[in-house]
Amino acid sequence: MRKPFALPALVLVGAVSLGACAKKEPPPPPPTAIPAPTAVPTPVPFKVASVDLGKSIGDDKKVKDAATTFGPKDTIYAVVSTEGVAPKATLKARWTFGAKGTLVNEEARDIAPTGPAVTEFHVAKASGWPAGKYKVEVSVDGTVAATKEFEVKK
Amino acid sequence: MSFPDEKEKEPDFSDVTSGSSSTAGAPAGETITRTYTVVAGDSLSKIAKKIYGDANRWREIWEANKDKVKNPDLIHPGQELKIPGA
Repeated sequence: MRKPFALPALVLVGAVSLGACAKKEPPPPPPTAIPAPTAVPTPVPFKVASVDLGKSIGDDKKVKDAATTFGPKDTIYAVVSTEGVAPKATLKARWTFGAKGTLVNEEARDIAPTGPAVTEFHVAKASGWPAGKYKVEVSVDGTVAATKEFEVKK
Repeated sequence: MSFPDEKEKEPDFSDVTSGSSSTAGAPAGETITRTYTVVAGDSLSKIAKKIYGDANRWREIWEANKDKVKNPDLIHPGQELKIPGA
């Protein structure tokens, strides 16, 4: 014979069990903000930005005393400002005299710039520069990048 | 009055001294980063004098360029020489 309270007890146990089964999933964690992709800077191609002539340079190798006319005993500086990156770049300064383009001096320097850089070339002549018109041609890896003209006056 | 030969005479630039420097570093693994182009009237000792201020250092330049300069008394205008330690 069944006891009279058996049915309600059964219902109660069932409800508790169902409640346990219907346990809610924990709420998903709030979406984390996806970081915007960091822009990878595109390497700036190496190039000559400017060539400045002068009679002296500072500690930063930039022209202190800009000039396009020089005296016979002056040291002449050609300051090449470059920008960009290169594992190796050959900068060359070719100095010539007169309409015939007589070679005065030519020298090159290999550099590995990692950003803006300044490279100076200089020439001097103990016996004095002949008066006349001169030119300095700056090239990068054999390609002329800039030309500057100047004059020597007695 | 001037003679035609005098008019045509080229100025002598063999005593020109030169130099260079840069804020940029040298390419990785390279020890010689400077080259000099021979001009008319140059000799190795003249170039050593121009570059180092010491004509006696001509042998250093010769050693660095033995692949193209067999005879140290024979260099030619336009020839590019590597300049060690400069």
